[in-house]
Amino acid sequence: MPGFVEVEQVTKAFDTRRGPVVALADVELSIARGEIVSLIGPSGCGKSTLVRLVGGLLAPDRGSLRVDGQDPVVARAAKSFALAPQSPALLDWRSVRDNARLLVRVNRGAERHPVLDDAAIDDLLREVGLGDFLDARPRQLSGGMRQRVSLVRAFALGAPVLLMDEPFAALDEITRAEMRYLLLRLWSHHRSTIVFVTHSISEAVMLSDRVVVMAPRPGRIVAVETIGLERPRHEAQEDSVAFLGHVATIRRALHRAMAS
Amino acid sequence: MSRAARLLTPLAGLAGIAGFLGLWELAVVVFDIKAFALPRPSRIVSDMASNPGFFVRNGWATAREAGIGLAVGALAGAVIAVPMAHLRVIDRAVAPVATLVQVTPIIGYAPAIVLWLGPGLGPIVVITALVCFVPFLFGAASGLRSVDPDTLELLRSVDARWWEELWRLRVPHAVPYLFAAARTAIGLSLIGAALGEWFALVDEGLGWAIKQGINFNAAPQVWGATFTMGALGLAGLGLVGLAERASGLGRPEPGR
Repeated sequence: MPGFVEVEQVTKAFDTRRGPVVALADVELSIARGEIVSLIGPSGCGKSTLVRLVGGLLAPDRGSLRVDGQDPVVARAAKSFALAPQSPALLDWRSVRDNARLLVRVNRGAERHPVLDDAAIDDLLREVGLGDFLDARPRQLSGGMRQRVSLVRAFALGAPVLLMDEPFAALDEITRAEMRYLLLRLWSHHRSTIVFVTHSISEAVMLSDRVVVMAPRPGRIVAVETIGLERPRHEAQEDSVAFLGHVATIRRALHRAMAS
Repeated sequence: MSRAARLLTPLAGLAGIAGFLGLWELAVVVFDIKAFALPRPSRIVSDMASNPGFFVRNGWATAREAGIGLAVGALAGAVIAVPMAHLRVIDRAVAPVATLVQVTPIIGYAPAIVLWLGPGLGPIVVITALVCFVPFLFGAASGLRSVDPDTLELLRSVDARWWEELWRLRVPHAVPYLFAAARTAIGLSLIGAALGEWFALVDEGLGWAIKQGINFNAAPQVWGATFTMGALGLAGLGLVGLAERASGLGRPEPGR
């Protein structure tokens, strides 16, 4: 049975001053509906490029991608993707509430899936602890609070696929750990398919059903680790033998990827 | 900013002007400069106070011309900046023309504009709009282009229409640039309007008053009109500051 997201023999190169650089070569990946898949690997291994190809923001040079049977560009036109970039990318001149509604408001009516209404988005903001800041401007928030608005904005769209490109990279370790459990809580309500880019092995293990290890020059998949931890995930699992085993396996795969 | 600093900041502007006028007054007295060469500010103000209606009437005429010309220039600059920010080829084509307009002296083309449009308000507005247009054009183009790439990609990820991208993201980004352009254009608009009055065969306005004062060797009138223009410029800057604050889209507050 084909996956919800299908990546088949995808190659993508970028033209640079020094000539073409192959960002991804012959990448194959199948992601099931509702699955959380993390992409991990050294810089330049094509993680972000793969996310943008899945989201229809880039076109492959070779190979094909399908999202729920559709070309990603068609899926993008139907607002099937909610992007959470590395920076929260909030509009400074709009309130927290308006920022959280942004993806619903833009290109309104193009979606083929139910989106959250205004009251539900406000409820979601309250659920993530921003109830007292609904009318605040982003500059009045901490980094972690801004990233929570970004998460709510992504889930508010109700999109079947969430594309998260290192959304917690700029946060301190404690806030980052809080954010991963918040993400899991929100995901447990909505069960979207998530493609999550990260540099943190423990983050990838704790969030994911599978962790895809990538290597650079050219960007490719070198290992896929299936995470056997039970859901719902919780902090205590981080001390478990199974968790530490996955971390060790992925670390070894990363070392091999960097040495290759 | 502390409460005391907030109260003192506007006073700092007044103190700066008072200091400048004080130094001017002192220099005239110390170096014994003759009134026909450079009168004392106190003398200029007392001359103005003897005929305030003249300066109010002509100041209002120039303010009206400058305001209309500034609005036309701002609108034209902002509208043309949209395709410039969108397509590099348009930017490359328009930028040199705008620079040519900016570096050509007003007195070079003002008589021709009066000949085409006839005397009166029309050519003054066109001349003023031409001198104001360039800062708005370059300011708006820079602002429209200066969007955060992550936010732009976010909008594109939901297939935002070009006008949504423009309205929701690019225009708010351009607003602080437009306020900065307005600060430059306030002075330009007054100079453009006053110079336009020289050529447009009108019988009112501060430019006309200065020209008439020069012709009749009436230094108090020349300096009074000049001071009135200065006051209009400061009032214009104050209005821009108020509009910027009201918009909530202005530049960040400078540090202490």
